[in-house]
Amino acid sequence: MFSSINTVALNGMDAKLVRAETDISDGGLPILEMVGFLAGEVKESKERIKTALRNSGFLIPPKRITVNLSPADIKKSGSAFDLPVAISLIQAMGLIPEEGIGSVCMAGELSLSGDVIGINGVLPMVMYARDKGFKRFIVPYANREEGGAASEIEVIGVKNLAEAAEYLSGNQEIMPSQMSVRQLLRQSREYESDFSNIRGQKALKRGIEVAVSGMHNILIIGPPGSGKTMAAKCIPSILPELSEDECLEISRIYSVAGALGPEGLVLQRPFVNPHHTVTAQALAGGGSKPRPGAVSMSHRGVLFLDELPEFTRGALEILRQPMEDKEIHISRAAGSCTFPADFLFAAAMNPCKCGFYPDRSRCSCSEPEVRKYLSKISQPLIDRIDISVEAQEINFEDLRRRDEEEETSAEIRGRVTDAVEIQKKRYEGTKIKFNADLKIGDLKRYCPVGEKEEELLREAFSKLGLSVRAYHRILRCARTIADLYHSDRINTDHLAEAIAYRSIDRRYWHGDR
Amino acid sequence: MGTGEERYISAFDKDFPEKLKNIPMPPAGIYVKGALPNPEIPSVAIIGAREASAYGISVARYFSRELSKAGIQIISGMARGIDGTAQREAILSGGFSFGVLGCGTDIIYPRENADIFKKILDAGGLISEYPVGTAPKKLRFPARNRIISALSDCILVVEAREKSGTKITVSHALEQGKDILAVPGRIYDPLSRGCNSLIADGAAPALSPESVLEVLGIFRDKGRTKDSLNKNLEEKLSSEERDVLHCLDFDPKGLEEIINDRKLKDVARERIISILLKLQLLGLVNEIGRQKYHLTDKILK
Ligand SMILES: [Zn+2]
Repeated sequence: MFSSINTVALNGMDAKLVRAETDISDGGLPILEMVGFLAGEVKESKERIKTALRNSGFLIPPKRITVNLSPADIKKSGSAFDLPVAISLIQAMGLIPEEGIGSVCMAGELSLSGDVIGINGVLPMVMYARDKGFKRFIVPYANREEGGAASEIEVIGVKNLAEAAEYLSGNQEIMPSQMSVRQLLRQSREYESDFSNIRGQKALKRGIEVAVSGMHNILIIGPPGSGKTMAAKCIPSILPELSEDECLEISRIYSVAGALGPEGLVLQRPFVNPHHTVTAQALAGGGSKPRPGAVSMSHRGVLFLDELPEFTRGALEILRQPMEDKEIHISRAAGSCTFPADFLFAAAMNPCKCGFYPDRSRCSCSEPEVRKYLSKISQPLIDRIDISVEAQEINFEDLRRRDEEEETSAEIRGRVTDAVEIQKKRYEGTKIKFNADLKIGDLKRYCPVGEKEEELLREAFSKLGLSVRAYHRILRCARTIADLYHSDRINTDHLAEAIAYRSIDRRYWHGDR
Repeated sequence: MGTGEERYISAFDKDFPEKLKNIPMPPAGIYVKGALPNPEIPSVAIIGAREASAYGISVARYFSRELSKAGIQIISGMARGIDGTAQREAILSGGFSFGVLGCGTDIIYPRENADIFKKILDAGGLISEYPVGTAPKKLRFPARNRIISALSDCILVVEAREKSGTKITVSHALEQGKDILAVPGRIYDPLSRGCNSLIADGAAPALSPESVLEVLGIFRDKGRTKDSLNKNLEEKLSSEERDVLHCLDFDPKGLEEIINDRKLKDVARERIISILLKLQLLGLVNEIGRQKYHLTDKILK
């Protein structure tokens, strides 16, 4: 007897259709053989599958059995093939009708007792199968919720192998799981960190608002204890609300990483803050069965690097390509793969090693020491940061002014969302999404300045000694500030604010020359 | 003025400065590039901390500029911070500037003062006890300091920590019988502690460049206003701009502090930021670090 069961192989986020084929033939020695470009862990699954079948009440006939995972040019790794292989065996034994099986896909790991165990990557698998026209997908019970988030395909969660077989034989009904992403999103609004919890820090909050509105990367500079991290943690709460598509995009990545929580989907924008000892690989992602790194786990959210100068050069170097392409390419011996990596980059640092420059009553770092500290951040990374703002030490005056109401994240988000809408309209039909995406060639068209503004820029450049690169960053940022004021024109106030936020420029850090 | 060629002047040479002869441990000879200070013109040493504050830098510039305008020769140790700032400002104001080195005259140290090394030969010269190729070593600096003090008629200390190289120069100066002036500062500021204790010990407080001139026996016309802020400049500013200016100090103030200042409660944030930029472009205000603003010496008359 021959049987073929559909399943999906994942390489990173890239899904491919794979069939688990079983042939049972008379003659020869009784043997179970598995072939088809299998990674070590798939080869080892043979004994597990045999035991799971036996413990689920299926007797494997003493015949020559060959299992082939096809096509042969895709490397199969992981444990998600257990279920389709086992079902294929059961069907080849004639215990499951062939009818209708062609429109079903399945994936899952088996325990020795025959239980179906949860796996990583169910959401991208199910979405891929749906796009390929499959009508049903059988998933581990533990993954039924994330799978159910995919629309227009029935997702059936099974607890064990026997249940799966019964269901496919038509002896047992299982209700498809369904999740309304929209409803879930509507229910989950509250971010843990809200700007209303931060006292004072008006300048910092404003800088962050501008950064978020145009998706500009931001660097927060301030002494220890000035609340840089606390402010950064609030950033996701003022990003525009998650759309259903975005929610699924993020959830797919978390599904592959096996990082989905009990609710089965990622319902808030991620905030990822790796420690400065993080390796380049952990930031980028990779491994033999490629896992998304921090740059992908922060997709559509915020990647925050605290103590930026403490990160290794190698780790920071990794960031350049995803910051440019909004996705990351990982090349490995077994073929390359791509993960999405479209994040808002936020970083924080002290102004010097001791943290108090230029307060000379506390900082005795020499000027070369201060410069050396800054030079740990490479120029190419600095070039990708449009905005830098000061976080000031919290003084007791601010803490005493408790009567003053602080603005909530929701209020700020309202203005951000307006600015984002303005950009959406302006860039309709182009590849540009946000002001931060503007390339040098786009600036003339989208950031025109009048004579008075031109004059101010010229003067600022000669007197403040700014670089040409700074010029472009300032224009992009001024465009966003104008958008926040719902102003078509960029005026001198917008420019002045953008100049105040200009990124650190090593040469002019000290200013006094 | 002098040439770029280095020459050696021994203590027996007729060109050897008289002022260097009558000190304890006089040098056996000196290497000179450019000119030596003119003995007919008063000289002031402006010295202080290497890691100076924005306030110290502004004051050093102000005094150096004003004293240069009065024709005084400025002498210092070419170090980072107060020394280099005073010497650079003297050159920029068209005055005389002399650098006394603790290394060979061919060695540019510290690097950030490379611009002064280039220009000083047209405005004065470089002086050292050590031959070409001698590396800068900390242990040589106290010896260099005795020459700075010897060549000067009085010593102005702008900023100094309680224990510092500056205090060594001062002790040489006292030994050599020179007048000491110190710029007073806040009592809790470690960079002013050295100066304040000098004043307590009898140094003259340097309240303005006039204080220095008085010590030198020079009196400028009395017509000048005592008010330390530059009224002419201020009159060109709008009232909002003046308000922002008056919120600032020589110590850096963060943007957050400025926009929260009660005096500016009626000025919108974006206006304050615009004004800060304008004041920077006028040279009245400088940004140091990130969004920390302070007054510059230009604000002084
Ligand atoms: Zn420091």
